[in-house]
Amino acid sequence: MDVIRARNLTVGYGRTEVLRDLEFTVPEGRITVVVGISGSGKSTLLKTLAGLLPPLGGEFDFAGSRVDYRSEASLRFLYEKIGVLYQGGALLNGLTLYENVALPIRMQHPKMPEDMVGDMVHASLAQVELAGSAEKYPAELSGGMTKRGALARALVLDPDVVFCDEPSSGLDPITSALLDDLLLRLKETFKMSLVVVTHELRSIARVADRVLVVNDGGLRFSGDYADLAASDDAFIRTFFLRKDSHDDA
Amino acid sequence: MNEPQAAAETPERILLPRRLRAPEVVALLDSLRRRAETGPLVLDFQDVEEFDSSTLALLNYIRSHHPDAATVNIGGALARAGESFVGRPAAEEPEAPPSGRLPGRALAAIADRFLLQVKSLGRFLAMFGDEVYHLGGYLKERKGVYPGETWNQMFFMGYRSFPIVCLLIFLVGVTISITSAAQLRLFGADIYLADLVGIAMLRELVPLMTGVILAGKVGAAVTAELASMTVLEEVDALRTMGVVPEKFLMVPRLLAITLVVPLLVAMADVVGIFGGIVVARVTFGTPPSAFITEMVTAVDWTDFGWGLIKTVVFGWAVVVGAGFKGLTVGRSAEEVGRATTESVVLSITLIIVIDCIFAFVLY
Repeated sequence: MDVIRARNLTVGYGRTEVLRDLEFTVPEGRITVVVGISGSGKSTLLKTLAGLLPPLGGEFDFAGSRVDYRSEASLRFLYEKIGVLYQGGALLNGLTLYENVALPIRMQHPKMPEDMVGDMVHASLAQVELAGSAEKYPAELSGGMTKRGALARALVLDPDVVFCDEPSSGLDPITSALLDDLLLRLKETFKMSLVVVTHELRSIARVADRVLVVNDGGLRFSGDYADLAASDDAFIRTFFLRKDSHDDA
Repeated sequence: MNEPQAAAETPERILLPRRLRAPEVVALLDSLRRRAETGPLVLDFQDVEEFDSSTLALLNYIRSHHPDAATVNIGGALARAGESFVGRPAAEEPEAPPSGRLPGRALAAIADRFLLQVKSLGRFLAMFGDEVYHLGGYLKERKGVYPGETWNQMFFMGYRSFPIVCLLIFLVGVTISITSAAQLRLFGADIYLADLVGIAMLRELVPLMTGVILAGKVGAAVTAELASMTVLEEVDALRTMGVVPEKFLMVPRLLAITLVVPLLVAMADVVGIFGGIVVARVTFGTPPSAFITEMVTAVDWTDFGWGLIKTVVFGWAVVVGAGFKGLTVGRSAEEVGRATTESVVLSITLIIVIDCIFAFVLY
């Protein structure tokens, strides 16, 4: 079953169309990677799918329901079912890591007893191996810890889909690989669907089940990662083969 | 600096030095200009071993500005670098001026700017309405706001603003008293200084000055904080957590300013009047008890009450204006600074406009 289904989706800012007439699906329980060069519109697409940027045209369904940006109920339904890992983490600086992770629970379930909130927060932090850093403030965390903390916050209410915007950006290869392992574990253990925006080929090779390649205002490829090699699209061959040869070196 | 040396046997031939980087290139250009006037030149690159992009730009420059000068013995790494050197692109054609006559174009530009301001005002008023709705919703349901945040904001807006508000209001009280005392003395109306200070402080100066200080201190801080959160995607993060940022971030601040302003105004009234008492005592020898007895014949609780209501409204204007600028900022760090400045200007403008409306209604 597909958790997201887009039809003729056009995304952009104001009157500027960044990606036009996109047709794609995001399957349930798999990792879909959105690939493209910098400035190609990957993050813009992610913002639209995450309910932050109204589409300029077309439509998309989430978990079988049409997402209507004019309807508060429709957006609330979407927000209840997603978690988002932002590029810089976007942890609130005035709150400790514990309080950051507890925030979605306290806001969406204000009557939940504090003991339960604590258990859920610690479980989520343990998942990302940050149980010992709960009382630290974001300014005291390293780049990798900030990303993992933000992921813990995105996961704490067990969303159906987790969107990750450039999870490896600014991280060293070892921390980046650890984060990739974490994403794979989420998929395998919790059957979670993930949409990952990246241009790191090592990450793509490790985690991608399905790939959406965007470039030049449109979708250049939508399919399984295994099928990429058969593509005769010049951009895709340059993008992937160049990186592959680089990796081999 | 190494001045390029000319070969002794051929004066038109310039043998360039081993090192030909930016400092040597600049020196060579002066020499080139002088020598080009005397006749054709030959620039010999035979000895050049150290070069940079200015050397490559020099080759382009000689071709375009000194077509009579020959460049010889360009070889090895310099020749290879020259082949791959990409200079500046050709100048683009200037854009054609917009059609239409100048007065028409000017009017169109003014109209566009006016419409933009009207649109912005509409968005601000819509946000003001939203905030009233969110505050009502919070008071009814008690959710959507982080626990304890209102206290944090009260501490910042009240406790941290208290010293500066008191100091400035005291100085205003002293200044207005000294200025008035000289005039009142001419008519032997010394005691009326108490009436003047009381009315001016309670009705006008304390509300206005407190509002302006809040605009500079609280408004700027709120805008800078919210704008930074917007730029760092924290506001987006709140939204995708199912939190309404306009409620989560603004309601605690509005509650805080509403609760803190009456305390600030009460203290500021006392301090401002105290400034008047000090001046009256020093200038006319008026005892404080006589000053206060006279003052209470001129002012009553409605003066204090209206001053307090005005300041609460000013506080709301400051916080909503600051929130509006902070939450509608763009995505760059540069815009945080611009939004903060605009927020202070907007807040002070709103305070003066609202004060003017109050003056028409009340007096």
